[in-house]
Parts: sequence; structure tokens; C-alpha cells
Amino acid sequence: MTNAAIAIDTGDLPFGGGMLALVRPALDLLEPGGVLAVLTRQSHAIDELGTWCKVERHELLEATADQGGATRILLRKGSFGAPRGAIEDNLDLKPHGGRIEAADMLAAVPFAPSADPGTGFAPRGARVEPGGPVYPCTINDLAHAAPPDVAQLYDQAVSAQWNADTDIEWARIKPLPRPLQRALGQVFTFLAENELSALYVPSRFIARLHPHYVETAQFLATQMADEARHIDVFLKRARVGGGGVGISHATTSASLHSLLTLEDFTEAAFLLSVLGEGTFLDLLRYIEMHAPDEVTADIVRRARADETRHVHFGMSHVKHALSHDHTMYARLEAAVRKRSATLAGAGGVPYAVQDSLTILAAGGTDPAAVAKGHSAFRELMEVMHENRVKRLLNAGFSPAQAQTLSDLHTPNFM
Amino acid sequence: MADETILLGAVAYDAKVVPIWEGIREHFRGQHVPMDFCLFSNYERQVESLLAGHIDIAWNTPLAHVRVKRRTQGKSLSLGMRDSDRDFKARIVVRKDAGIKSLPDLHGKTLAVGSRDSTQARILPLHFLRAQGVDLSSVKLLPFDTDVGKHGDTGTSELDVLKALHEGRAQAGAVGDLIWVLEQAAGRVDTGKLQVLWTTPGFDHCMFDALPGANAAKLEAFKRGLFAMKWENPAHRRILELEGLKEWLPPREEGYASLTAALDEQGGW
Ligand SMILES: [Fe+2]
Ligand SMILES: [Fe+2]
Repeated sequence: MTNAAIAIDTGDLPFGGGMLALVRPALDLLEPGGVLAVLTRQSHAIDELGTWCKVERHELLEATADQGGATRILLRKGSFGAPRGAIEDNLDLKPHGGRIEAADMLAAVPFAPSADPGTGFAPRGARVEPGGPVYPCTINDLAHAAPPDVAQLYDQAVSAQWNADTDIEWARIKPLPRPLQRALGQVFTFLAENELSALYVPSRFIARLHPHYVETAQFLATQMADEARHIDVFLKRARVGGGGVGISHATTSASLHSLLTLEDFTEAAFLLSVLGEGTFLDLLRYIEMHAPDEVTADIVRRARADETRHVHFGMSHVKHALSHDHTMYARLEAAVRKRSATLAGAGGVPYAVQDSLTILAAGGTDPAAVAKGHSAFRELMEVMHENRVKRLLNAGFSPAQAQTLSDLHTPNFM
Repeated sequence: MADETILLGAVAYDAKVVPIWEGIREHFRGQHVPMDFCLFSNYERQVESLLAGHIDIAWNTPLAHVRVKRRTQGKSLSLGMRDSDRDFKARIVVRKDAGIKSLPDLHGKTLAVGSRDSTQARILPLHFLRAQGVDLSSVKLLPFDTDVGKHGDTGTSELDVLKALHEGRAQAGAVGDLIWVLEQAAGRVDTGKLQVLWTTPGFDHCMFDALPGANAAKLEAFKRGLFAMKWENPAHRRILELEGLKEWLPPREEGYASLTAALDEQGGW
């Protein structure tokens, strides 16, 4: 904005017939105290502009006759209601290779370290007229709101969307022996139930997130679209071939309830994405490895690609928060311990989940094969633990902390 | 012990009057000034209630203000006004196709005017036109006596005047400056059809009035609370916007001289 004078010629436009449409934008370019010269050939407009200035608290400094019957009016812009912030006038977003990514936008209009809840839904970079209501957002600082690669992750998510209706070769699924069919139905029932929590939990934080950090909300929207698709595709797979949906266990319900009731965004990202979805990556790899057909393998492979992105976002979020706030380590550890205490007595992996994963790996009910399936399941538990420890170490926890936190993780995987 | 609570009267000319005074009462509570309000349906009863001592302060239109002044032999106390109450004007707006180029051209034409108790759209425009030499007996008045008792606060009669002008039911009309400019700023005036013929001299609008014998501590507390309202404060701004001001200002009396003269001349007391 400028304090220098701006001059406009409103010709013979009446005050309410076009003059204001030139005067208001010109005043918007000025700082309070700046002077606007208006040239007009409308005699009444001078007086009307005077009243309008009084209402809007600008100051009509003088009106002098100019050459050719025109009047030159000088207005001093008032400070009442002037939008705050700098005018965005040197920003010209350029496509590269014909594209404009969200990451380009973020680079052009970077995040501030913190945001004012009084700016509401004003897009980042907008000048904000004062006096708007204070919004109920509680995630107002960069450290807890947005990791540095959030825009890239959003771009990736948008281009990686797929369709659970047309991208899956449903017609190629062949009938399976009944016990295997049932086991498959149970596995996908369990997956879908967990996916439901992954759909609901992020939704609770979007409304708390300051719109300044919209890229995080945009990423969470893609995550929710992913989870919606996973629920869709998993329940379809459970029912194609007649396996049907199976049992929902109380342990699963308790475990997911403890995610839904979290009130802190970073704790939720840690428990849901780093620990829960992280563990699910190993589960999905296991199902893919033991899938009875290529279509089923394709389904879980696609879901795992999406989950990898969710885990990546969760890791970025948590590491970003930890790097700015060292008390986070203790808080996250406390969150794991508290959840573990809530789930005390829940027992091990819910039996229907254990058994269906065993039968799936066995490929049927032949006792020799089931023995192998059982070993595969036990091995899965090991792999899940090892990979959780790796992720915790990567996040900056000590080896001892990583061991403890992984051991305290829910028997429900998520 | 006397009640310390300031009781203020206001006229409920619009549903927004309730949130305005609830908001102001809330603000006063924050300033530790106990205040409550009661709403009247018309200014006549509010004036009588003030004079009878039933309320401490009345938020009065100019017409109610000068009546209180007269009834107290000029001794009533003026406490404050809105910034927007000062230097009010009225406009004589004409249709461009009516061939009215000067005030004498109004003779033989139809002039739409607002309610009989509207200072800005009836009482003062007619007073000032007469002072300019317009013979009102040869002008056909098209009056819009809507919301009588509200002293023009609702602005309804002024919008009626503008509507009549747009529709050609009148060739000329009297409206307050504020309505005229705000309707234009909102893009609701066809400037291809209407234009200003003449603008009246300035006059002042609403005022907080109290009786000469009022409790001085209450009045001081009221002024302190009132002037502590700031546009920059979002909670205050919401109320100030609703009430149509940006700043409360101290009182002044000279802006009501023309209205007093008009009432004398029109027998409007
Ligand atoms: Fe998922
Ligand atoms: Fe996920």
C-alpha cells in the first residue's frame, strides 16, 4: 500500500451510478492517511461523496474547480475498517511445464509461524477487514499445523486417486473354497472397521485447524477420500464371492474409540498415522502376499500406496512438531501409555482377526498349511513390531523408548 | 437505598434494537456500570415516561429531543450523540424526466414525503423549501405516513419515497441524506432516472436526554461507559454497526434550531 496520492477521473458518473465503483478500489490501494484525488463533472456527487466519506470516516479535504467545468476533490483515507495486511501486487503465479502445483502456491505464499483466529476463512494472503468474529480454531501455529512437505503430499494424493468401481477388475474374481471365502470376508471386515476410524479421526481436526494452514486441511480431505474409497473397496471385496462381512470385536471397537476421543492433533497423528496406519502397512503387505487372487492383491496394493502417504504425512507432522516442541516426546509417550491403560485387559489380537489371517496365509484348512499359516501370522507380529520401532527411532525416540512404545501399542494394530 | 441501576429508554423501531441494547448493557456491565433498558413502541410515550421520572435517560430522535427541551423550559440535559447524528441533511430528489431544473419548478408537481413525524423526510424538507420561497400550497404532497410514532427511524417512509420516484408516482421526493447515499452505495438507486435537485442545510439527529434533576453520578457513569465503546473492539463494533455509528460524540444544541423553528411554523409541537 502507499501513502502517496492517487488520482482518478470519474468523468460524469453519478455518485451511485459508477463513481463509487472507481473511488472504493482506488481507496483500497491507499494506506489510512493516504490522499485520493477524484476528478468529477457531477456537481451533486461532490456533496454525496461528502456524506459517504462521513459515514465511512474518510475526510473530504477540499473540492476545487478544475479546468473544463470539472471539480477536483481530495479525500484522505480514514483508518476505520481499513483491511489489514499488505497488498499482493507482485505475485504472478507461473505454470511450469504447463502445471501449477499446490507446492508452487505454498512456495509463493508461505506459511506464517502463527495465525490469528480473527482472520477466519480469509484465504492466506488476503487483506482482512477488522471486526470479524474470532473463529473457534485451536491449531493456530505452524509447528502443530503443517509440516513442510504438506503441499507436495497433497499434490501426490490428488494425482494418485483411483476408483473402487472402475479400476478394479471385479469380473476376474473366481469362487474360493468356503472357509477361505469366510476368512477373506473377516479380514476385509476388520480392515473396513479400522478404515472407518481413519475416516472419522482426521475429520475432527479439520474444523480446529486455522484456515491459514489450508494445505493440511486439503491433505486431510484427500486422506478422508482415500479412507472412504478403502471402506468401499474392502466391503465390496468381502461380499464378492459370498464371503460376507464377519465379526466386529469389542477390542477393535475399544481401540478405535480411544482414537476418536483424542483432542490433540499431533497425538492423533502419532497414534493413528505413525503407529496405527504404520502397522497397517505391514498388515496390507501380508494380505497382498497371501492374497488368493490377483484382484485381491491389487486392491490391498492400491490401499497400501495410499496408506504409505498417510504414514508419511503423520511422520512429517510428528517430526515437525517434535523439532519445534521438545515437550512433545513426553506428551506422545504419555498418550501411548494412557491409551494402553484404557485398553488394559483387552487381550491379544481379536480372535477372528488372528484366525482369518492364519487361514488366509494357509490358503485353506489343510492342517499342514494351517501350521504354516500360524507361523506366518506370528512372523507378521514380529515384523510389525520391528517396523514400529524403526518409525519411532526415525521420529527421534530413544531405542529404549521405541521398544516400550511399540510394546504398548494396541493389539488391534490400529 | 436508591437503585444504582441506570434505566434507559429506547424505542423498538426494529428487531435489532434488542441485540443493540443487550450488547450495550453487556459492555456497561464490563465497565462496572449497572444499566438496564426498557423499550417503548413510540417516542411520545418514551418522552412522557422520561418527564414523569420513570426512566433516567431517553435515547431520543431530534423531534423527541426538542420536545423534551421545550417541556423542561430548556433545562433538560443532553448527554451524547452518534457521530452520524451531526450535520444531517435532506435531499430533494427528482426524476430526470420531470423537467424540474430549479426549486420553483416544483410548483404543480407531486412531491413524495415521508412520515409526518420524520424530521429528515418531511418536517425539515418542507420547512427549508418554504424558506427557499417554494409555495407549498401549489405542490401536491404524496405522503407516506408509515411507522408513525417512530419519528422516521425505520427509514421505511424514505424507501417508500424512493420507490414512488422510481415508479413515476411522484416527480420529486424528500429523503434523508443518509438513506440517499447508502441506497446508492448499495447499488439500489437508478441514477439514470433520479438525480438530486437540492440539498437542505445541515441539522442534527438523535440525542440521549435526561431531566435536569437526574442523579449526576448515574449520568457521569453512563457517559463514561458510552464513550468507552471503540470501533476497533470487535464486540463493540458489532453493536456500533447495528446502531449506525462509528463513534459516540459529546452533545451540541445548535443543530436543532431549524427543527424548533419548523415546529413553531408547522404547529408540530
Ligand atoms: Fe485407509
Ligand atoms: Fe489411512
